[in-house]
Amino acid sequence: MRLQAPISAWLRSLFNRRKMNDDLAEELRFHLEQQIEQNVAAGMAPEQARRQAVLAFGGLESVKEDCRDQWGARLLDITLKDLRYALRGFRKSPVFTLAVVCTIALGIGATTAVFSVVDRILFRSLPYAHAERLVSVGITAPIEDNEFMLGANYAYWREAKLPFDSITSMTAFDSAMSTCDLTESHPLRLSCLQVESNFLSTLGLRPVVGRNFEPDDNRPNAPAVALISSALWQSRFGGDPAAVGKLMSVDGKPVRVVGVLPRDFEMPTLAAADVLFPQHLDWNAQKTSYPGSVLRCFARLKPGVTMEQARAQLQPLFADTLKGAPPQFRNEVHLVVRSLRDRELGDSSLAAWVLLAAVLAVLLIACANVANLLLARSASRQRELAVRAALGAGRARLMWQALSESLVLALTGGLAGCALGYGLLRVFIGIAPKGLPRLPEAGLDHRVLLFAVAISLACGILFGMVPALHRAPAQLALAGTRSSAGSRGFFRQFLLVAQVAISLVLLAGASLLLRSLWKLQNQPLGMRTDSLLMAEMTLGQNRYPQPEQQLAFFDQLESRLRRVPGLTALALSDSMPPGGWEHYRIYAAIAVRGQPRFAEGTGGPVDWRAVTPDYFSALGIPIVRGRGFTERDRDPDQHAIILSQTLARRMFPGRDPLGQQLQPGLDGPWYTVIGLAGDVKNDGLAVPASPEYYVVRRHAGGASADPPNYVNHHVFVLLRTGMKAAGMAELVRSDIAALDPTLPVTIDTMRQRVGQMEARPRFDAALLSLFAGLGVLLAAIGIYGVVAYLVAQRTQEIGVRMALGASTGDVLRLVTGKGLVLIVSGAVVGVVAALGVSRLLTSLLFGVRPDDPLTLGAAAGLLVTVALLATYIPARAATRIDPMVALRYE
Amino acid sequence: MNQAVDLLQGTLDLLILKTLALETMHGWGIAQRIQQISQDALQVQQGSLYPALHRLEQQGWIEAEWRPSENNRRAKYYSLTRAGRKQLEVETANWERLSAAIRQILQTV
Repeated sequence: MRLQAPISAWLRSLFNRRKMNDDLAEELRFHLEQQIEQNVAAGMAPEQARRQAVLAFGGLESVKEDCRDQWGARLLDITLKDLRYALRGFRKSPVFTLAVVCTIALGIGATTAVFSVVDRILFRSLPYAHAERLVSVGITAPIEDNEFMLGANYAYWREAKLPFDSITSMTAFDSAMSTCDLTESHPLRLSCLQVESNFLSTLGLRPVVGRNFEPDDNRPNAPAVALISSALWQSRFGGDPAAVGKLMSVDGKPVRVVGVLPRDFEMPTLAAADVLFPQHLDWNAQKTSYPGSVLRCFARLKPGVTMEQARAQLQPLFADTLKGAPPQFRNEVHLVVRSLRDRELGDSSLAAWVLLAAVLAVLLIACANVANLLLARSASRQRELAVRAALGAGRARLMWQALSESLVLALTGGLAGCALGYGLLRVFIGIAPKGLPRLPEAGLDHRVLLFAVAISLACGILFGMVPALHRAPAQLALAGTRSSAGSRGFFRQFLLVAQVAISLVLLAGASLLLRSLWKLQNQPLGMRTDSLLMAEMTLGQNRYPQPEQQLAFFDQLESRLRRVPGLTALALSDSMPPGGWEHYRIYAAIAVRGQPRFAEGTGGPVDWRAVTPDYFSALGIPIVRGRGFTERDRDPDQHAIILSQTLARRMFPGRDPLGQQLQPGLDGPWYTVIGLAGDVKNDGLAVPASPEYYVVRRHAGGASADPPNYVNHHVFVLLRTGMKAAGMAELVRSDIAALDPTLPVTIDTMRQRVGQMEARPRFDAALLSLFAGLGVLLAAIGIYGVVAYLVAQRTQEIGVRMALGASTGDVLRLVTGKGLVLIVSGAVVGVVAALGVSRLLTSLLFGVRPDDPLTLGAAAGLLVTVALLATYIPARAATRIDPMVALRYE
Repeated sequence: MNQAVDLLQGTLDLLILKTLALETMHGWGIAQRIQQISQDALQVQQGSLYPALHRLEQQGWIEAEWRPSENNRRAKYYSLTRAGRKQLEVETANWERLSAAIRQILQTV
């Protein structure tokens, strides 16, 4: 091989240096001796012969040096020398070194931590084969955020010619309804989902053990089979491959395990899935019973087909689908085809991008800072460099040395940064809200580490070259004149202005988020959240299959809990504001006696809840007109309804709603309006209250009094109490356990629940504030460094001025004047940039306009103050200069 | 002594390769041989000979071996490798093209 020889020679030269040096010396000695011998033979005296030979040979050491240069490891030699030299230099100026290393560490630490988080969210590949071709397909309607499909339509879609290799579906139940119970010696609550038989194959996955579902499994009345998660396989079967084929008892029925899901399996909806069942859907029956089951659909695009093309090809099919939809929906239903990643991330992606941008901004500031520090250092070393150049060091050689110095700094900083990043990441995960997908598994992995090292190297090269490119002419430097290099000064000032501007953008963004967080936390919720305990439970379909049984259980629970001491109100409800899983109906589906039907579209969703009479007093929701529910209203022959003010205003503008009659389901009984309740934040914290109505929750025996779609098995129990929450929780838990020891219960205070909803904005604001703080700190260090350098450069001048009678104020003005101009221009640029950038934050803000002048002004004011302080300290030092000392300065 | 001619840049490599193609040789011997054959017209400076030898060795065109010399001293003998032989052919051809071109110019102008 051609390359083998050079490489092995190079390796030899790397590890065998001493031997090679000895060989070289011996080779040259041999030559010399041969020459001497020849001289002697020619008749010279031995002394003379040696002298002549040595003369003829020339500089022995320089020949050796030239030979060594050929050995290939020359660069390494030089680098090692440079590194030793650099380390010596750093030991001599520890403050400079510490400042640079800390700046890099902060920049890289923050970048690494955030990249680790963002990488999981934005860039890491999904655990499916060729995930880039997977899409989520469906229609959107006003009652549901994410796209879905109706069984009646999908039954046709799956048979049609589609731009997909395959399309599959899962049954889209909410989390409360997708539970099932492992009814064995150790009962366990699991999440179970129903999927079409081609679900795994569409995602490009295969069970790790056993087989996939087959079309036969999907037939109605096929024997019950299941795929189980790796976690369940481990905990229930100890990871034994023989688990396949065994029977499990789920909700009291035997189910055969046919396969195990991959360890990193996740549903495309990110829903928890312990067990997958086949759907058992009869597609012909679905076609005839509109709307059929609610489904989520996922598809694999044919190779080379884009999402736009797929959307276009689906239009005819979608038009057919629309024809089947109720007329009021037609204008509000849209076709959605979007990538799986978009479907999973939802609005997390904006926050992730903001985070990434913020941290890159911090890194930029850090790099500018380090460049400034290195520039200042190189200025003070001009003389030394000039000496080196005069002694024969080439420009490339000097550049290489500057480069190796900054590489040492960058790598040390990078290493410290990785440690810092690890710590920060732990903090992020600690304070992160639950909703951020995949965050808990985020860790500093190879890729992230590589990213950090790449950044630190890039920084090293970047700011290593800047000073090296700005070497002053050697003659000037040697003459001892300190050049006040114009171009370099300009570059440094540019860096400073950029730093101030970027910091201001960060600060403005953070202030906006903080301000909207404050508004979010201080807005009226329409209810009281203090001293309110909440227990959530879902009765298993296995033990309580009938609505009557479910109502009976909660009747018992209600009467037990009434005996809890210190209780001031007890209520049961099937859902909870703000923004739990509400039930909703479209406005157009509510009939009002004596009024024409609403005909302009759907009218949007109307929330509704079934609650016990004390619900309003427990939550402190005022009944503004009429009366609240009483125990009498729970009887099956009573049909009372309470409207929220918003709904009442809309439904009965200018008329008295009391005594009016409504039919919420378009069939079933008519209800009489008995009261109006105050509006409550019922749709999340950041959006205005939705219209809402309340019906009463019945006692056992009353299940048939209402339309059959009432959810009776999923209940929140609310307890208002004067007691400490912790003790109360124990009492409630034991009361529930006395009725059914296997029933899992979640107990929270209302405060915690609302707090969880603020967690996302709080997380965003906390992180951005952290970065803004870092940015401002770094910018302050940068300004301080530059002004201190300016002062040091002009010490002599200042001394002269003071000797000639300049006052302290004059000197202060002289020094701060320049800094002030830079800071103000940076702030102006920053405000303009912030106005542009904050627009992108709009969807993360609440109650604050992105160009809120107060926030921007405060941010600019804070930054300018800090910056002025950073100039004042070195300026103050300048006024203390002793003219005598200054005049002798160098 | 005849007047010595400065070696053209790059021709030293060619001369070394050619010399070693005839026989395995140490550095001293190579210098002597070039001098003899050129009848002292070409003087090889040690300052360029040894770096050139090390460079050629590094490139894998020649290889070295320690061996006793004619007068029984330990000496570093260089010999041509296969790659070196090929390189010699290339460089010889190059040289001939170059010298032919120069001769052409000298004759016509």
